[in-house]
Amino acid sequence: MSEFKKFDQKNWVKTNLSYRKDSGSWAWILHRITGIALITYLFMHIYSLSPLSQGREAFNNFMKTYSTPFFMVMEWFLFAFVLFHSLNGVRIVLVDWADGARYHKALYRYSIVIGVLMFLAMGYVMFSHEIHKLFS
Amino acid sequence: MYKHRNSQGSGSFSWVFQRITGLILVVIMIGHYILMHYTPESGHTYDAVLARMQSNWYRVLDLTFIVLGMYHGLNGVWGIFRDYKLKSWQTITIISILIILGLAFTLWGIKTILDIPYVQTSSGLLVK
Repeated sequence: MSEFKKFDQKNWVKTNLSYRKDSGSWAWILHRITGIALITYLFMHIYSLSPLSQGREAFNNFMKTYSTPFFMVMEWFLFAFVLFHSLNGVRIVLVDWADGARYHKALYRYSIVIGVLMFLAMGYVMFSHEIHKLFS
Repeated sequence: MYKHRNSQGSGSFSWVFQRITGLILVVIMIGHYILMHYTPESGHTYDAVLARMQSNWYRVLDLTFIVLGMYHGLNGVWGIFRDYKLKSWQTITIISILIILGLAFTLWGIKTILDIPYVQTSSGLLVK
């Protein structure tokens, strides 16, 4: 009989990390991380758009910072968080309501593929103007 | 005698609503991202926002987005906390912080949207 592993409550992070993880566990972990990131972003978003109340000049000056290449790339990466949380969310709904427990691993693989494609497509939407400038 | 326990108070409403709001948010979020980045100006200039906000449909859409996003997000955070054994004072503290933060930022966001003036004339042109 294999050694029974006692749950070490003091080092629960370490213990949890030591477990073997399949796609479902990674989906669960990443869903939490992306979710916390997105709600944090929503708070920042409401704060950062509040200068709308102060009129055109104040808002445009404020937004100059966010139109820089650095922030545009950050916004693109944020879309990766959005995509993972969205597609995995759909996967969760299918598992709950459409017998998805039978095919949740396939769903995970499809979400990753669809997610990567949508991420690249959004990259084109966001940077198409820069790309066109490069080749004109 | 055995007492039948119904699902009231078990959190099943928030479980269903988390899925419904999630599905709505997926649609709005993808649209929001494409719209805000379709041109470099569309999401980053006052005039683009002003032009959109002349339509009450956009205002209602954005208000829905804020309210549903905030509910879904904070309910999700609460769901994470609920995975751990909490003492009742911890539960009360965490829920109070989440509700107060959520209400404050939701109202702030709603105020920001409603403060944007209507400037359209009858001819449909923007007054600068």
